[in-house]
Formats: sequence, structure tokens, C-alpha cells
Amino acid sequence: MDHEALTHEMRGLREQVTGITDTAVAAADGLLIAADTADSIDPEGLAALAAAGLGLARRTAQATARGALRQTVTYGSHGCAAFYAVGDTALMVVLGDEGLDVDRLHRATQPALDRIGSILMNKTAEGV
Amino acid sequence: MSGYELLARSLDSCGREGLTGELRVSGSPGGTFHFRGGLVVAVESPGAPGAEALLLRSGRVTGEQWAALVRESGGTRWPVAGLIAHGYAGAAQLRVVCVMALQDAAFAILAGRVDGCEPGAARFEPPAPVPVGEPPARLLEDAARKLAALAALPHPVHPDRERPLPVRYFADGEHGELGELRRELLAHADGRRSARDLAFRTGRGVYTVTVEVGRMLAEGLLECAPPPAPVPVRMPPEGIRHRTPPPPAPPPPEPPEPADLPRRRPGGFFRLRNGTPR
Repeated sequence: MDHEALTHEMRGLREQVTGITDTAVAAADGLLIAADTADSIDPEGLAALAAAGLGLARRTAQATARGALRQTVTYGSHGCAAFYAVGDTALMVVLGDEGLDVDRLHRATQPALDRIGSILMNKTAEGV
Repeated sequence: MSGYELLARSLDSCGREGLTGELRVSGSPGGTFHFRGGLVVAVESPGAPGAEALLLRSGRVTGEQWAALVRESGGTRWPVAGLIAHGYAGAAQLRVVCVMALQDAAFAILAGRVDGCEPGAARFEPPAPVPVGEPPARLLEDAARKLAALAALPHPVHPDRERPLPVRYFADGEHGELGELRRELLAHADGRRSARDLAFRTGRGVYTVTVEVGRMLAEGLLECAPPPAPVPVRMPPEGIRHRTPPPPAPPPPEPPEPADLPRRRPGGFFRLRNGTPR
């Protein structure tokens, strides 16, 4: 796997969307792969929470016939935490402060998720 | 046309037409100017803390109290009556907070990259509107003046560019001489946060924080962080597995049976060996 390309995607997203404070990528079972997070965040715990959160959201979507899960977003008074599935094998966490435009985040994240999925599966993604 | 010219022309046009609606500015950080009768009553941008963030981060109102106020007010974005009634802030204080947030967001939009401006009808109620709107030209002048003041600092800084960190550890005893804002900036500057990020973290205006960061860089209290180290990447020992195991391979197809097997007729063998039965 191209470690530099993964770092590039994670940092690139943070530079592209104002308000992103931290990002992390983990395997679908919650094992941390990479974290670009502040010291105040426990990235291992965050990865495990994201895996559990996505699992719960996926089952909720199934049980309520809401179709394929897109993402989960937890909104707090000081910002939000978004969890995205990366294909069938991994997940990505994006934390943002109160200024983060969540719609803009979702738009910017979709192409990045495809590229991160390709990087993780050792495929050569175009433009990376 | 530069971003400044584009923004100035669009704001001027909205003001002259007496727009009641929004001017959406795309770019980084971009944002939205909310107009009422050609005057700007609110500005929001991902580049500057809004009035809600300023109140919540300052600790004047807790997140739970804010949620209760929003419920009480029937879901409004700016529960001003409740804030005053519960004694969290006075009416005059709230007006000041709204004006500060408005001017700060206009500064953040102008300080960033302006790609395009699109006027339109209001989609949402303006967040934390000021009672008396500001003429757009005056707002733009104020933002341009602030930008020029930043550029003239001994250590010019940009809200989104520098990611400072303290030059050394400051003991509690030293903090007394620094003042509250500087203490907070030293506590939260970690080499990852820009002046804009520090403004959100401390609940202060982005212009105020950017100026202070510039001064602290010039005075040697802060320094610009070196380029960030690569993110350590660790693959799970057994590799990345699929969340759901791939479905088992389909069983090999059974050899097709001929549809019509020749049926043996009773006595057929005798016919063959002995001729026609009698």
C-alpha cells in the first residue's frame, strides 16, 4: 500500500474543506490504520467507535428499509463527527468544528473515499 | 476580475437592488451574506465563529442550556428572547455579539478565496441577525481595512495559513503576565491549528485571534510549526478483510441429463434376438 498517497488524501481533505480538525482511516472491524488527529483524541478508541457506529447505522437502515447507508454524522454543540464506509473493507472518520459545512464535507468526501479504497486495496488510483 | 472586485460588485448590486435574500459566495472558506432591504443583517462563513459558537465556546451558555432554549423557542436558530429571559446575556451584549460575528465573517470571506457570487432567495432564516442592517459597502471597507492591517504587521499572518505552536513551555507562574487571550492561545496552539481554528477553539473573533497570533509570532512567544510529519500508517497483521465475507462459490453445475432417454420396451430384446414374437 502507498502510505504517502493515503497521507496525501487525509491531509488534502483537511485543507480542502474548512473546519475539518481531524481525520482517521480504520479497517471495517475498527482496527486503526492511520490517524491525523490532535493529541487530545484517542485514535484507537475513535476507530472502534466509528466501526460500531457504522454497524449500528447500517442495521438501522436495513431494519427501516432506508436503502444503502451513506454516512453517519454526530452533531454536538462544539462540532460534529462523520463516519463513512470505505467500500466493504474500511472506514473513514472526519471530525469538524462548528464552522464545518457538512454538505460541503459530504461532496468533497465521496471522491476521496473511492481513492482511499483503491489505495488500501493496493490498486493504483488515477490522479494519486 | 479579482475575488475582491467580484465580491465588491456583487455586494454593491445587492445593496442597490434592495435585495431581501442571500448572496452566496463560493470559494474557500466562502460563506453567505443575508440581506434585508439591501442591508446586510447577517453573514455566516466556515471561516469565522458565528454568534452561537462565540456564546457557547465562551462558556456563557452550556450546550444543554442552548438546546433547551432552542426547544423553548420552537426551534429557532437564534433564541434571543430566551437568552435574555434566562439571564444568560443582556440585549445589548447580544447585539454586540451579533455585529461582531457579522463583521468577522465578512472579513473571513474576503481574506480567503472568492470564486463566485450568486444572489438568491433566502433559504433559511438568517442566523443571529442584527436589528439594523449594515450597508454592504461599509462592511466591505471594514473587512478590507482589517486585511490591510494584518498585512502591515511585523509578522504578517493569514487566518488559514500559519499553524503556530509555543516556542517553549510556559509555567503557570508566567501566565499572569500574559493576559487571558494569550494564555488561551498558548494553551491551544499545537502546530495543527491555524488562527481560524484557534478562533473557533477559544470562542473569539478570527480577526482578533489572527492579529494576536501575528504579534505573538513577532514577539517570539509562538513559532510556525515545521511541515507536518507523515501520518504513521499501520496495516492490520492479517491484512484488510471484507466486512461481509464473500459469498461461497456456487456449486459446480451438474452434468445435464438428456431430456428424453430411450425407453426400453418390454419384449424388445426378444424381438431383436428371436424375431417377431408369435
